[in-house]
Amino acid sequence: MQLTPDDTILFTLAGVAINATIVNTWVIMALLTGIAAIVTRNLKPDVPPNRWRTALEVTVGGIVDQIAEITGNRDPRILYFVGTLFLFIVTANLLTVVPGFDTPTASLSTTVALALAVLVAVPLFGIGNRGFAGYLRSYIEPSPIMLPFNIIGEVSRGVSLAIRLYGNIMSGAVIAAILLAIAPFFFPVLMNMLGLLTGVIQAYIFAILATVYISSATATPPPGESVPRKDSA
Amino acid sequence: MSIDWITVGAQIANFLVLVWLLKRFLYRPILDGIDAREAEIAERMGEAGQIRAEAEAREAEYRAEIAALSASRADVLAAARLDAEAERAELLQKAREAARAEEAERLKERERAAQEMRAGLERDGAAAILALTRKALADLADETLERRIVERGAERLRTASGDLAGAAEGGAAITAISREALPPETREAVQAAVTDLVPDAALRFDVDPAMSPGLRLTLGATEIEWTVESYLSQLDATLDTLAEEMRDAS
Repeated sequence: MQLTPDDTILFTLAGVAINATIVNTWVIMALLTGIAAIVTRNLKPDVPPNRWRTALEVTVGGIVDQIAEITGNRDPRILYFVGTLFLFIVTANLLTVVPGFDTPTASLSTTVALALAVLVAVPLFGIGNRGFAGYLRSYIEPSPIMLPFNIIGEVSRGVSLAIRLYGNIMSGAVIAAILLAIAPFFFPVLMNMLGLLTGVIQAYIFAILATVYISSATATPPPGESVPRKDSA
Repeated sequence: MSIDWITVGAQIANFLVLVWLLKRFLYRPILDGIDAREAEIAERMGEAGQIRAEAEAREAEYRAEIAALSASRADVLAAARLDAEAERAELLQKAREAARAEEAERLKERERAAQEMRAGLERDGAAAILALTRKALADLADETLERRIVERGAERLRTASGDLAGAAEGGAAITAISREALPPETREAVQAAVTDLVPDAALRFDVDPAMSPGLRLTLGATEIEWTVESYLSQLDATLDTLAEEMRDAS
C-alpha cells in the first residue's frame, strides 16, 4: 500500500518524473480556475448575480471577513495568499471521496511545500509591513535572550503545519483503505464522511494559523511595547 | 514518509501559479464586482434619497396647495352661503311685499266690492223704501211721496226760519229744488210757506234728477233740505255697523 502519491509516477517530462501529486495538483488548479473563470466571465454591476456568483461572493466574503477579524485589516494580499491556501486544501481534501483520486494533501511533499510557502510569506509580509529592521527586531523581543527560541519557534511552526495537515489527511486515507479491506460495506462510507469533515476542518486550521502568523508578523507595536509572538496551536 | 524535494519545488511553483490564477479569475473579479455593486447601491441610495427629498418637498408643496384650496373652498362656500342668505332674505322680502301688496289689493278690492254692494244695497234699499212708501202712501192715503215730503218740508220751514231769513237779507232769490217737477198745489204750498217766512223773497223752482226725493231750498250759501238722503245716511250707518260686526265675527 502506497502512503503517498509521490510514489506514483505518471510520466516523465524533460527527464523529470511527474508523479500523481503534481498531476492531481494541476487538476485541482484547473478545477478552481475553470469554475472561477466561468462564473466571473460575465460579471458586471448591472447583471443580476446568479447562484454561482453568489456562492463565490459568499465564499470570498467569508474569507475576507475571517482575515479581517484576525488581522484587523482587509489587505487583499493576505486574501490572495491565505484564500488560495484554504481553497486549494479544502478542494484537495474534499476530492478524497473521488475513487482513484490521490489527493495531493496526502503527500508530505505538498504539505511541506505549503508550510514552506507560509514560512517564507510570513517574513515577507512582516518586512513589507514593518520594514526589514522592524521585522528582525521582533526576533529579539522582548529580550535578545529570546532570539534562539524565536528562531526555533519559527521553524517548528512550519514543521507543525506540514506534519499536521499531512498526518490528518494521510491517516484518513490510510484508515479508509484499511477499513475497505476489512469491512467493505458501510464503514468506509462513514469514514469517508468523517474524512470530509476532517478535511474541511484541517483546511480551515491551516489557513487560520497562516493568517495568525502573518498577523503576528505584520502587527505594528505601540511605542514602548512589544508584540507577543504567536506560536502554533 | 519521505519528502520528494522536486515535488516540493513543483508544488511551491504550482501554489504560486494558483495564487496568481485565483487572483486573476476569482478574487479581483469578485471583489471588484462587490465594490461596483456597493458603489452602485450607494449611488442608487443617494439617488433614492434625493428623489425621496424631492418627493417630500413635492408632497409638502401639494399639501400646502390642498390646504390653500381647502381654505379658498371654505371662503367660497362662506361667500356663497352669505349670497344665498342675502338672496333668500331678498326673495322673502319681495314675497312678503308681494303678499302684502296682494293682501292690500285684495282688501281694497273687498272694500270696493263692499262699497259697491253697500251702494247697491243703499240704492236698492232706498228704491225699495221709496217704492214701499209710495205704495203705502198711495194705497192708504192717496198721496204721493214727493208731495208729502215737500209739504212736510214746507211745514218745517218755520222751524228753520231764522237761518233762511238771515240769508235772505241780501236780497237773493230762493231756489226750491226737487227731483221731479212739483205739482201746482205743492208749489203753492211751498210758495206760501216761503212767503210766510220771508215775505219779499223771490222763489224759483228747479229740478235735479240726481238728488233723492224731497225738497232743497238754497239761498246763497245757505241750504235747507228735506230729502230721503238723510234716512239713507242712517241706512248707510246701519250697514256700516253690520259690516263691522260681520268682520269682527269672521
